[in-house]
Amino acid sequence: MPQVRILAEQVRFVSVETDSFKTGRISVSMALPMDEKMAANSLLIYLLKRSCKEYPDFSLLNGKLDELYGASLSAGVTKIGESQVLSLSLTCLDDRFALTEESIAEQCAELLAGMIFSPNCKSGSFGADNLNAEKRLLIQRIEEELNDKRTYAFNKCIEYMCANEAYGKDKYGTIEEIQNVKMADVYSAWKNLLSTAVFQITVVGSASDKIADIFTKKFSKIERNPVKPETVFIKRGRHFNRYEETYPVNQGKLVIGFRAGMENSRDNIHAITVMNDIFGMGTYSKLFVNVREKLSLAYYCWSRLVASKGIVLVEGGIDTDKEKKVSAEILSQLSDLRNGKTDPEVLESSKRSLKEKYKFTTPEGICAWYAAQVLEEDIVTPESVAEGVEEVTMEQVCEAAKKLSIDTIFMLRAQEEAEDED
Amino acid sequence: MKIKQLTNEKLGETVFCAVHPSGLEIRVMPKKGYDSAYAVFGVKYGSIDTALQKESGEFETIPEGTAHFLEHKLFESEDLNAFERFAKTGASANAYTSFEKTAYLFKGSDKIEESLEILLDFVQNPYFTQETVEKEQGIIGQEIRMYQDLPDWQVMFNLLRALYEKHPVRIDIAGTQESIAEIDADLLYGLYKNFYNPANMVLCVVGAIEPEKVFDIVEKNIKETDGRKIERKFEKESAKPVKDYVEEKLSVACKQFLLGYKEDVSGPLLSLEDELASQIMLEAIAGKSSPLYKKLLDEELIDLGFGTELFNGFGFSCVMMGGTSADPDKTVSILRSEIKRMQKEGIDPVAFERAKRKTYGRMVMGYNDIDDTANLMMNLYFNGYEPFAELEACKNITLEKAQERLAVLKEKSSAVSVISPIE
Repeated sequence: MPQVRILAEQVRFVSVETDSFKTGRISVSMALPMDEKMAANSLLIYLLKRSCKEYPDFSLLNGKLDELYGASLSAGVTKIGESQVLSLSLTCLDDRFALTEESIAEQCAELLAGMIFSPNCKSGSFGADNLNAEKRLLIQRIEEELNDKRTYAFNKCIEYMCANEAYGKDKYGTIEEIQNVKMADVYSAWKNLLSTAVFQITVVGSASDKIADIFTKKFSKIERNPVKPETVFIKRGRHFNRYEETYPVNQGKLVIGFRAGMENSRDNIHAITVMNDIFGMGTYSKLFVNVREKLSLAYYCWSRLVASKGIVLVEGGIDTDKEKKVSAEILSQLSDLRNGKTDPEVLESSKRSLKEKYKFTTPEGICAWYAAQVLEEDIVTPESVAEGVEEVTMEQVCEAAKKLSIDTIFMLRAQEEAEDED
Repeated sequence: MKIKQLTNEKLGETVFCAVHPSGLEIRVMPKKGYDSAYAVFGVKYGSIDTALQKESGEFETIPEGTAHFLEHKLFESEDLNAFERFAKTGASANAYTSFEKTAYLFKGSDKIEESLEILLDFVQNPYFTQETVEKEQGIIGQEIRMYQDLPDWQVMFNLLRALYEKHPVRIDIAGTQESIAEIDADLLYGLYKNFYNPANMVLCVVGAIEPEKVFDIVEKNIKETDGRKIERKFEKESAKPVKDYVEEKLSVACKQFLLGYKEDVSGPLLSLEDELASQIMLEAIAGKSSPLYKKLLDEELIDLGFGTELFNGFGFSCVMMGGTSADPDKTVSILRSEIKRMQKEGIDPVAFERAKRKTYGRMVMGYNDIDDTANLMMNLYFNGYEPFAELEACKNITLEKAQERLAVLKEKSSAVSVISPIE
């Protein structure tokens, strides 16, 4: 069971003390509403990662990380429900392995806290060069993510499905918004972050008391007015729509978006998790066994549950001209799932497999599990979810499947060969 | 079986090694404080094996993509397939094929011994029919298509095809639509019989398991075969690349490039010292804290995805560097001239020490992960090394050695691969 402490208003410190690993992990998650400030927030997190007051240059900061035995620093922007969550994380060698008497974990915590609270910022400016560089890098990052057509189609389906909800927006903000961000916007985003974001500091490893003290001191100087982001849950798909785009690629990508009938991120979560797993996650799942193994229609065809928004997405890489056949098969498998046409052994397989998935074997895995709960009122352990999953019955699986309602289809079509030549 | 114990004191880890009479190598690292175990059963048969040595010693050509195809087919069985069997223990099972090997693996915390038996059993008992082989052609066909659309994959294989004229490292791991069409059940059974014999295989297990249990299970489950170690044929490649520039247009938003330096290797394998010295050298000259990286970033020529890599295996070795760039030509010309300058002026000793420390730290960190550790142990075995050899080798790398490895990068042996957007 992790230790949970509150360091300041809406600042939670979650630590898992362990000496099982050779590394430790410290991660700071900062949750903000998805509003017009998203682009500025995204740029901010990468500026904070670029340098800080103590190491005011990209190379100096990276040099320091190398000296800390190759500590690895990462920044991230994700959507958790309708919240934009910024994060800064460090993985470092455990103190036991240092070549000299030093605490790597404490140095890393100081460094991480310094990056957030004492950035490389003079009189309201992070430096025009730095901002421009991060704008360029962020736009390139977005473009690179879109180079992978699987990700592109997946995001596109969500964009259409949630066009009238905040969730339909890109996690980074749009390219145009990023281009228009001004220095003052980033500075106010930083002020806003310290004051209003919901924070969670997650630590896996040793020295957690000292790390908590380091962050407590920093927050004691901040006036907090936290704003908790809220997510809209739509229980049923209202009107079914299909969208398509054509690209000169080899393989088509089909994405089907469903509403899961959830009212909040933990609503009926155990049954929905098992249902989704049987539908299209495991090698025993309906989609794997039928779409792939029986019909050879795809190399991958799986379903993903996004509990923080109450949606399920099914995706597959397929031949464009087989779209109808594949979607019909997916829906027919869903119908079997609803009608209880599932081998009881598959339910057991799913429970066993899920139980394994909740056994994390790396500090990163453990840390990510807890960090993802930044917006939840209370922290749940993987063990308690495993227990919940164990209790799920076939009837509950069928009921959960009946609540899935189709909302949107997005098809990325591969241009036919003949059109391919100029 | 005689069991040998190897301990690395600093790391606090011990590996138990043994050789089964069949020739199978077994390496086990029990880990305290872990609930799960990861096991990998590997065979020295990968995509570069496009020829099979017959008993007469002669080599016979085989279609591209057979190792990967067999990997897919071994999961099948007359009764329950391997996935169905693992579903009963809860372990998550998978497999992958790389240039030099095929690996079958599982990870689980419950019924680990049973899972291990399933792993050994399904890999040793092929069962497929002409009909199911044909079905698999459809699935693998989709897999090939998927990779053809991935720019990261294409930019690398285009580079390999530009650098290597004959070496099969230039072919795609899954083969091509045409080559997999040539594969049938008889061919696969024949290849299976040759490559999948214990003398050509290794089993590595890491995590929550007693070594004695693993050895017991091996004793009971490994079949004696008349198998022999498979030798690969080393053919010296010309030092020159086939082409010095290749470009492909794909449906992407931004340009991507890889600059590759082919090494004129005189034998099939680099030494571990050479490998590590190259890694440290690359980190020192072009890592995230290097002046070169900063310069390229400041000039808006690269992004944070820029990286370098030593890419080597049986009969091939090259250094690759690249990423996304608005101007690959300019970036490549800066990289080339900076490399030349550093070859003349030498690597900054401070940068070298920092890079060495980072490389060492990252290697120690890797032992956290039971997956990574088991795969590392397998790779060390296939390349002829004892466990932990890489940590010792890393400590001994000197600045002079790194300098030597930098000198290996020759401009006339280099090539550039670019992916650019379709207009």
